[in-house]
Amino acid sequence: MIVVFNENATPVQIQKVTEKLLDKGFDLHRSTGTSQVVFGVVGDTLAVDTRDFEVLEGVHEVIRISEPYKLASRSFKKEDTIVKVGKATFGGKKVGMIAGPCSIESRDQIKKIAKMIKKTGTKVLRGGAYKPRTSPYAFQGMGEEGLKYLREAGDMNDMAVVSEVMDRMDIIPALKYVDMIQVGARNMQNFALLKELGKINIPILLKRGMSATLQELLMAAEYIMAGGNHQIILCERGIRTFENYTRNTLDISAVPVLQKLTHLPVITDPSHGVGIRDKVAPMARASIAAGADGLILEVHYDPEKAFSDGAQTLYVNQYEQLVKELKIIASAVNRTL
Amino acid sequence: MSKKKIETIRKKIDKLDHQLLYLLNQRAEQVIELGMIKHKLDLKVFDPKRERDIFVRMTEKNPGPLHVDAIVRIFERIIDESRRLERIEAYEKDE
Amino acid sequence: MLIVMATKATPKMVDDVCAVIESMGLKPHPMPGALRTAIGITGNKAQVDSNVILSQAGVKDIIHVTKPFKLVSREFYPENTIVDVGGVKIGGPEFVIMAGPCSVESREQCMIIAEHVKNAGAKIFRGGAFKPRTSPYSFQGLKEEGLKILAEVRDKFDLKIVTEAVDTETIGLVAEYSDIIQIGARNMQNYTLLRKAGQTKKPVLLKRGMSATLEEFLMAAEYIMAEDNPNVILCERGVRTFADHTRNTLDLSAIPFVKRTSHLPIISDPSHGTGKRHKVIPLSRASMAVGADGLIVEVHHDPAKALSDGPQALTPDMFDDLMNQMRSIASVLDRECT
Repeated sequence: MIVVFNENATPVQIQKVTEKLLDKGFDLHRSTGTSQVVFGVVGDTLAVDTRDFEVLEGVHEVIRISEPYKLASRSFKKEDTIVKVGKATFGGKKVGMIAGPCSIESRDQIKKIAKMIKKTGTKVLRGGAYKPRTSPYAFQGMGEEGLKYLREAGDMNDMAVVSEVMDRMDIIPALKYVDMIQVGARNMQNFALLKELGKINIPILLKRGMSATLQELLMAAEYIMAGGNHQIILCERGIRTFENYTRNTLDISAVPVLQKLTHLPVITDPSHGVGIRDKVAPMARASIAAGADGLILEVHYDPEKAFSDGAQTLYVNQYEQLVKELKIIASAVNRTL
Repeated sequence: MSKKKIETIRKKIDKLDHQLLYLLNQRAEQVIELGMIKHKLDLKVFDPKRERDIFVRMTEKNPGPLHVDAIVRIFERIIDESRRLERIEAYEKDE
Repeated sequence: MLIVMATKATPKMVDDVCAVIESMGLKPHPMPGALRTAIGITGNKAQVDSNVILSQAGVKDIIHVTKPFKLVSREFYPENTIVDVGGVKIGGPEFVIMAGPCSVESREQCMIIAEHVKNAGAKIFRGGAFKPRTSPYSFQGLKEEGLKILAEVRDKFDLKIVTEAVDTETIGLVAEYSDIIQIGARNMQNYTLLRKAGQTKKPVLLKRGMSATLEEFLMAAEYIMAEDNPNVILCERGVRTFADHTRNTLDLSAIPFVKRTSHLPIISDPSHGTGKRHKVIPLSRASMAVGADGLIVEVHHDPAKALSDGPQALTPDMFDDLMNQMRSIASVLDRECT
């Protein structure tokens, strides 16, 4: 951490900052320039709120050099983490694919979709059983019954399954059925949930919050990792911007940036990222081209009749076509699919 | 000719570096002893007045060619490292 | 959908209409007003046959509510909701000030701050016992011990207590010790928690999410009200924007919008809204001027040593200054601020 003083900072102001830093157990490297004083602060600045020093008199700026997360950072672990979900891997040379309906609507629906998707070589099936809906009057998902159908559909087609959990109370029932637990964008900072997920040992698919910075996403991963669970897949799913043509703006630049900051695998969710069906495939292709470690996509045999998010859901034949295209792109960026 | 000159100067610098190294460590030994006393008497490691006095004395007595600002920066670094040494010594005594 | 009863409709007529609505698989919400009673309808499982309802005795009209939120909308309930927190009324003529530290750090700290804010005129004491922190390595709060300290503050200084519930497991505990349950910005769309908060029937202070639209904000309140809890107080606390001179951008325009669209009271949180101490007083003045029903501000007797959010906490002297300024503005705006 670097503390830069104002040009007209007085010796007394500088002394007060020095005392506060030393009180907190840091070592200092002072540098008195002709017009400005700068401190290099050495020590464990992980939990420091830089504003604590910014508000002190005489301080011009406080700059963080080391990241506030540790376990999730590339400097802590150099090699890529490879997360295994059933027969799929995320973070290695192979690009992992996750597909399925937004909501599990019935036993027949999820089975039918699983069977169709399997033909494309997709190894992970998604399906929502607990649905976070903006309106309390909208379809809220089938709950545990839905998870049971998801598991059945997965087993019949030799696919692993992933589903979202919204509350820590739902984790235990979910563990009976799923191979990976998803944390949705709205719960990215549900710290009680994150802490609980740190205590279990199945992979977590952690989605970026609608207005979260990448640092906040990595801090959320750190919450889970601090509990002992290091199997995390990060997922960029679009952020809220002023642009309203698409539902969200898929921030593909997050993929290479995150891959530099962290060893965890990074995938994207073009379905939520753009919210419009015909824009999903181009963004999926762009994600793989940008180096994403995988994709999660919404697929349904009859999107028009889907209970939720039909407008962003691909038809099965569109998905088949997309997988073919992605294979070509993957090989061009030295990956396989 | 000039090559030989360079070598002569470098030898002189090396010798001075050794002297500096010896002196810095001599100073550090005194610092450790002071740190232990401060710890025993529960005095603060950071003593701004004492530090200022050192800067003033050193800049006043500075014969050059080093600029006084440079003298301050060099002594700042020596004192920063001394303080760190005092802190670590005190900490280890506590353990 | 909203059913408007005739002014002369009897309570029996209202009950009968409710029974008819229930028989359709929907939920009636009778709302007695000054002139007439209205009945709101929620539930989307069945189709409503308007003709059946219109043929009931005492029914004057049916209004189709166009907004996705129902119980929170002014169309549903035209008069201002006043949330009564043990005698402190929020949403009425009084401008209510909630003040206290970001985190409960110790008994001593709370007593010092509580005594000061009470004397200065605050009615409600705030203090976090469970803290949602961005870093798992930061101070996470004193938890139940903190709640006990808050309960002591209530008894000793006759202040009401508002404190945050961060998960469904501890919300029962928070409800037990507090007068108002706070739902923080990060949990605005934690729907399980919203439902649980509704079920406690206690007043709930619902903060707007960092990037929530006003429609999403009101839908979150709808989740609480759908559990038959009308005691919701909304709170604008700043939204995330590109501007970086403040931590967040306090969206004061949200206040008149919410006042027009909803009957619920709304207060402002200039401490989180700006993240910097020196911006708190000017934005508090503006909040009152724009029609907010109150403020929630952070006060600490020694902000430099606060365990969390010290930079945005007012010093006791600044809080006195704030209270004086609020009183003089209140007199101009016809609000009460004591």
